[in-house]
Amino acid sequence: MKTVRAVVSLLLAGLVFWALDNRHGTFPALGRLLDPFTGFWQNGSRVDRIPRKLVIPGLRDEVRVVWDDRRVPHIFAGSDHDLYLAQGWVAASLRLWQMEFQALYTAGRISEVVGPLAVPQDIFNRRFGLAWAAENSLRTMREDPRTREALEAFTAGVNAYIRCLGRRRLPVEYKILDHRPEPWTDLKCALLLKAMSYTLASGNRDAAMTAARDALGEATVDRLFPFFPPLVEPVIPPGTAFEFEGPASPAGGSEAGGTGGTDGEPPASGLPKPPDLLSSGFLRGPGVGSNNWAVAGKRTRGGFPILCNDMHLELALPAIWYEVQLAAPGVNVRGVAFPSVPQVVAGYNENVAWGFTNGGSDVLDWYTVTFKDDTRAEYLYGGQWRKTTAREERIAVRGGRTVVDRVVHTHHGPVVRWADEPPFPDMDVPAGAALRWAAHDPSNEIASIYALNRARSYEDCVEALGMWDCPGQNIVFAGRDGTIAIRHNGKFPLRRKGQGRYVLDGSDPADDWQGWVPYEHVPAVKDPDRGFVSSANQLYAGPEYPYYLGWDYAPFERGARINEILAKARDVTPEDMVRMHTDVLDIRARAVLPRLLELLEGKAAGGAEEKCFEELQAWNFEARAASMAPTVFRELWAELDRATWSDEKKGDMGRMPRPASEILVDLVLNDPGSEFFDDRSTPEREALAEIAERAWRTAVGNLEKSWGPPGPSWKWGKVKGTRLGHLARIPGFGLEGLEVDGAGHVINAVERAWAPSWRMVVALGPEVRAWGSYPGGQSGHPGSRFYDSFVDGWAAGRPAEIVFLKSADEPHPALAGRTVMRGAR
Amino acid sequence: MIAVAVCLLVMLALQVLTPFWWWIMIVAFAHGAAVAKSGRNAFRTGFGAAGLLWLGAGLYFLLAGGRPIAGRMAGMFGLGSPWLMVPVTALVAGLAGAVAGYAGYAVRDALGKRGSGREP
Repeated sequence: MKTVRAVVSLLLAGLVFWALDNRHGTFPALGRLLDPFTGFWQNGSRVDRIPRKLVIPGLRDEVRVVWDDRRVPHIFAGSDHDLYLAQGWVAASLRLWQMEFQALYTAGRISEVVGPLAVPQDIFNRRFGLAWAAENSLRTMREDPRTREALEAFTAGVNAYIRCLGRRRLPVEYKILDHRPEPWTDLKCALLLKAMSYTLASGNRDAAMTAARDALGEATVDRLFPFFPPLVEPVIPPGTAFEFEGPASPAGGSEAGGTGGTDGEPPASGLPKPPDLLSSGFLRGPGVGSNNWAVAGKRTRGGFPILCNDMHLELALPAIWYEVQLAAPGVNVRGVAFPSVPQVVAGYNENVAWGFTNGGSDVLDWYTVTFKDDTRAEYLYGGQWRKTTAREERIAVRGGRTVVDRVVHTHHGPVVRWADEPPFPDMDVPAGAALRWAAHDPSNEIASIYALNRARSYEDCVEALGMWDCPGQNIVFAGRDGTIAIRHNGKFPLRRKGQGRYVLDGSDPADDWQGWVPYEHVPAVKDPDRGFVSSANQLYAGPEYPYYLGWDYAPFERGARINEILAKARDVTPEDMVRMHTDVLDIRARAVLPRLLELLEGKAAGGAEEKCFEELQAWNFEARAASMAPTVFRELWAELDRATWSDEKKGDMGRMPRPASEILVDLVLNDPGSEFFDDRSTPEREALAEIAERAWRTAVGNLEKSWGPPGPSWKWGKVKGTRLGHLARIPGFGLEGLEVDGAGHVINAVERAWAPSWRMVVALGPEVRAWGSYPGGQSGHPGSRFYDSFVDGWAAGRPAEIVFLKSADEPHPALAGRTVMRGAR
Repeated sequence: MIAVAVCLLVMLALQVLTPFWWWIMIVAFAHGAAVAKSGRNAFRTGFGAAGLLWLGAGLYFLLAGGRPIAGRMAGMFGLGSPWLMVPVTALVAGLAGAVAGYAGYAVRDALGKRGSGREP
């Protein structure tokens, strides 16, 4: 009896030990996590202590880090090597877990942390070749002695930090997810750049457009997705002279056609979706967009240019950016950086400022492949059989068996999905097609940023950006010498007009990319007469530009609104520009709503519809969180869009690809009897009036169903419910239900999960001054008071004035502490 | 009470010196196997020593700047207040200490040996 009791109680104790010492599914190892001496209790405010002295092996001289009261590090070093080593250490001290999680995610290794649940995501990222792309680029980065030194020093700094971490000081997410940091590598820096290429330069609708062409005919597709769409004001102002000839053969003529834009955020109808465990959105989402502009000195009060930038990315905690100043002989630069990459990505120095919006040109194509047989060892190309290559991918899985995947490559690139496999949620991948993607090619964007950080003039920037291949960006520039400029910058394949809009023939050499647009020929404009330059992800240039670069750009609204404000602006001050970042005027609503209300006049059935009608009638077209009208307009527009386009689908098409908003705006204003308004499922012929009324009825019905009778629960801020999800979707570690002004297609592009990720206003001059804010905080430690300390200022549109020091000894009222770093003897 | 205090201090020392949470189980087991005069006594001492240690330590770290992180953790567990993380921490430790202490006593009892000391 006693023996039985002993055995049972021992087993019970063992079971309790096992239960508390191990993670179960997503449930953490409670014993280790709750242990006050090593668990989460150790991740309190001590993470905010500023170390006074540090010994960091590898440093050659003393490095001084000055911390300001927003916890921004200002790093002063005696050499490039020490500068980037210190940056690596500082970045890791603020964001180590985020850095590693993003690298593992991109490399298709997140199953090692998450478990079997993440295997499909890893397979997708491996098939897409993100790690392969990073390896290709890393080789190039290592060939350049400057970038090699920067990367190696940065890596040494991160690893010095990892080595000094005991179990107690591990970032809390490691404790929750129960893993440990592995040594940092240069490859992880390259991986982050490829993650950004994926986010920004992999958008494509080739499969859906091919189905649409086959079902509707090319003429209809060209009408709905014109190469030069109405209402869109290209980045390069019309009339700009290009001082070069176009290509001799591949790029075609240039009569007007049209583009679609991205669909923007899905409409906010219905109840919020439950958050998924893993942020597939770290890499992509519908809200990618950005604004940037620069105003010439002749239009500013100070007489020097002002540059503005806000880059829209998925909201997350920890934030994607952190602020940093980097100073060493030959460089003193301030701005934001990715935690995983040395240098400052977007920012300014004493002479120049620069900022980004996504370029959106097409650098990704799909090629059908004809394999000789099921072994997939050979494929047809140019009438001959060529050999494929294969890359074996081994996906280690926490709590499961290693998954082995053989990725087949043609000379174009990897085949991402086979016909017998289910679709990937991330992308509409045509089955059996090979992927040709510019980001797979070797490139060295780190060298570009290195030179940009040290640029003194526009000429320096042009030279620096020659090394910027992918993702293609609209890069705005302003210099202390008065120059302003914008470049649609990147490495763009030479194409026939429209080539790559549809899935291409992988056996036909004529469908291959025929080289690259010469760098000297990328669309660019310097000091235009109108006194400003701007971009908002829209079409790069008008028909006068001789190359074809793509067709699927952002719709007209943000770009047109920016130009409208700047065209009238005189005597511009930085305060004006700070205000402009939070401009929420919805010019789509301003364009179509009067017409729609005219059609709906007197049609309201019931109290809810009447109330909505009155709200819209009284609306000033501003997407304010406290107002109800934006909610109603969003839903009305979504329903009108759906009712207009979804019935156009024919044959084998899946969902009808949505034309850009400007196409529908144009039809509403100029062609209310258009055949596209006709509902093909009814025998009658409808026009805009009937469709608008139906859309109105459905929209109001949807809103009542989701939010009850019209009232405070319909307020735009509430319905939108902006949230900053934690990167690994750990409940309680993000921020939910923020009520913030803005919408995806207004300048202040705050959506539910996508928003301006860094707003910056830089006033050039003898003393450069700048303001900035981002949704998050400098520290990635959830127990830090700097974890989300910038969110309120960001949401309210109140940026902080940025501290930019000339030397480590410069006194400044906003400094909070200093760290002196020395190498080991 | 003295047994609880002694166990607690031994646990504290071992936890401060090494990064392992399971000392609370080992020490409770050792007490049960070597000292406790009954199963109930072993259970209670293990529960009390481990629970009080983690209660006190949790409270200390909560007050010493741990409110934000405890708040986030409470959010993760679906609890309403950072303060609740303190009793949760103590309960988990108490449970672990208690079953370990009882197991220690039961093993000794099965081997037919008597305790080397007496519970005051």
